Amino acid sequence: MIIFKNISKIYPPDIVALKNINLHIKPKEFVSIVGRSGTGKTTLVKILVAEEPPSKGQIIVGGWEITNIRESEVPSLRRQIGVVFQDFKLLPKKTVFENIAFALEVCGTDRIKIKEVVPQVLKIVGLTGKEDRYPIQLSGGEQQRVAIARALVHRPKILVADEPTGNLDSINTREIVDLLLKINEFGTTVVLVSHNREVINSINKRVVTLDNGTVISDQKFGKYFL
Amino acid sequence: MFMASPYRILTFAWQSFWRNIWLSLVTITIIVLTFISINFLVVINFITDAAIKVLQEKVDISINFKPDVLEPQVQEIQTYLSALTQVKEINYISQKEALENFRQTHSANQLVIDSLAELENNPLGASLQIKAKNLDDYSEIITVINNSKYNNLIAVKNFDDNQLYISKTKNVSEYVKKIAVFASGFFILVAFLIVFNTIRVAIYTHRQEIGVMKLVGATNWFIRGPFIVEAIFYGVIACILAILIIYPFLNFLQPYLVKFYLTEDFNIINYFNENFWQIFGLELLVIIALTIVGSIIAIRRYLKV
Repeated sequence: MIIFKNISKIYPPDIVALKNINLHIKPKEFVSIVGRSGTGKTTLVKILVAEEPPSKGQIIVGGWEITNIRESEVPSLRRQIGVVFQDFKLLPKKTVFENIAFALEVCGTDRIKIKEVVPQVLKIVGLTGKEDRYPIQLSGGEQQRVAIARALVHRPKILVADEPTGNLDSINTREIVDLLLKINEFGTTVVLVSHNREVINSINKRVVTLDNGTVISDQKFGKYFL
Repeated sequence: MFMASPYRILTFAWQSFWRNIWLSLVTITIIVLTFISINFLVVINFITDAAIKVLQEKVDISINFKPDVLEPQVQEIQTYLSALTQVKEINYISQKEALENFRQTHSANQLVIDSLAELENNPLGASLQIKAKNLDDYSEIITVINNSKYNNLIAVKNFDDNQLYISKTKNVSEYVKKIAVFASGFFILVAFLIVFNTIRVAIYTHRQEIGVMKLVGATNWFIRGPFIVEAIFYGVIACILAILIIYPFLNFLQPYLVKFYLTEDFNIINYFNENFWQIFGLELLVIIALTIVGSIIAIRRYLKV
C-alpha cells in the first residue's frame, strides 16, 4: 500500500529531517509512527501527502510512484489519502455539513450523492444533528470528528492522522482513538502519528519509532518505549 | 475542474461574500472610491474641454476690405478661403451691414452720426469673419491670406490681436491637457495599488482556508475560481454604487456649468448618458481585470501547499 524506499529529507543548508527511511505499510494495516518532537514524524506525513518532496529515495502509494509527482497530480493523490491534523484544519466559515461536503465537491461529486453520503459519515463519527453548526460552536473532540469525517467521506484507502489527539482531553482522546480503530476495522489503512505514550500503548498494533530522522524500531505489536 | 463546476464556484463565491460581509464592504468601498476618483477626472476633462471650446468659439479672424473693393471681389475671396480645409465657416458682412452695425454701435454719439451723414459715400468696407476648425489652424489661414494676391485689397486685419489671444488659449489648453494626463496617470496608479492591496489583504485573511482546500484535494482552479468570481462581484456592485453616487453629483453640477459657460450646449449629464458604456463599461472591465489579476497574484503564494 505505502512504500518508503531510502527516503531522506534535508532542509537547506544541511538540516537532516529524515535519513534513509525504509517502511512498507500493508493494506488495512494500523501503524503508529512515534517519536519525540522534531524527530521527523510530520515530515514523513508531508512527504506522504506530497506537501513536500523527498530529497532522496522513492515513495509509492497504492502502486503509484509519487516521488516526483507533478503539481497537477497532487489533488488526485490527496483525494485518495484522508488526512487529519492536530489543529483540525476546518473551514471556519463553513458549517459541519459544508466542511465534509467540500471534500466531495472538489472531486466533482454531484449534490444528490453528497446529500446521501455526508449524513452517513456524520453517523459514523457520532455527529448526527450537528450538521448546521459552525466549527466554533463545537468542542475540540467534535471538531476532530468533523475532520475525520471529512477525511473519510470520499472513502480513501489510507487515513493519515497527524497528532489527532494533541489538542484533546483524555476522554476525547480515547473516543478519537476508538474511532480510528473502528475505521481501520472497516478496511482503511490507518497511519497514526503521535507522541502520546498512553494512546500508543493502548492500541496494541504495529509501532514504528523514529529518532533523529531514522527508524530505530519497528514492532508488530509495539509499545512506546522512548 | 474550473469549467466543470461553475455552479459550485458561484455558490462558494456568494457564500464567501456574505460570510465575510465586513471585508466585502471594505473592499467594495475602496473600489467605489476608485470609481469616483476616475470619474472625477472625466468630469474635470469635460469641464476643461468645454472651456476650451467656449474660448475657441470666441476666437476668429476679421478681415476688413477697403471701401472701393466691390462685392463680387469679396465673394471671390470668400470662395477662395472657404476652399481651405482649415476653415470652418466664413461670415460675410456687406458694406451696408457694416455701416448699419457702426450706426447702431455709435447711436449714442450724435457727433459720429452727424459726421456719417455728411459723407457722400459709405466709408466702411465689407468684411469677412473667419472661424477655423482648430486653434492651430488660425496661423496657417493668416499665412495664406498674407501670401495671397488679395492681400492688397485688405484695409485692416485684426488677427494680430487675435494671434496673442490664440496663442495664449492654445498654451492654456495644452497645459490643462498635460495636467489632466499626469493626474489621470497618477490616479490610475494609485487606484491600481489600492485595489491590488485590498485584494491582497482579502486573500491574506483566507490563507488558512486555501491551505485546507489544497489538503483535501482541491485543484488550484477550484480554489481560485470563487475568489475570481468574488472579485467580479466586488467590481459590479462597486460600479453600481458609484453610478448611484455620481449621477446625483452631475445633477448638482449641471446648473453651475450653465451659469458659468452661459450656454446649455455643455450638458455633463448628457455627456455621461451618451458615453455611459464607454465610461462605466470600460472602467468596470479595467477594475474587474485588476481585481482578477490581483487575486491570482495574491493567491499564488498560498497555493504552494
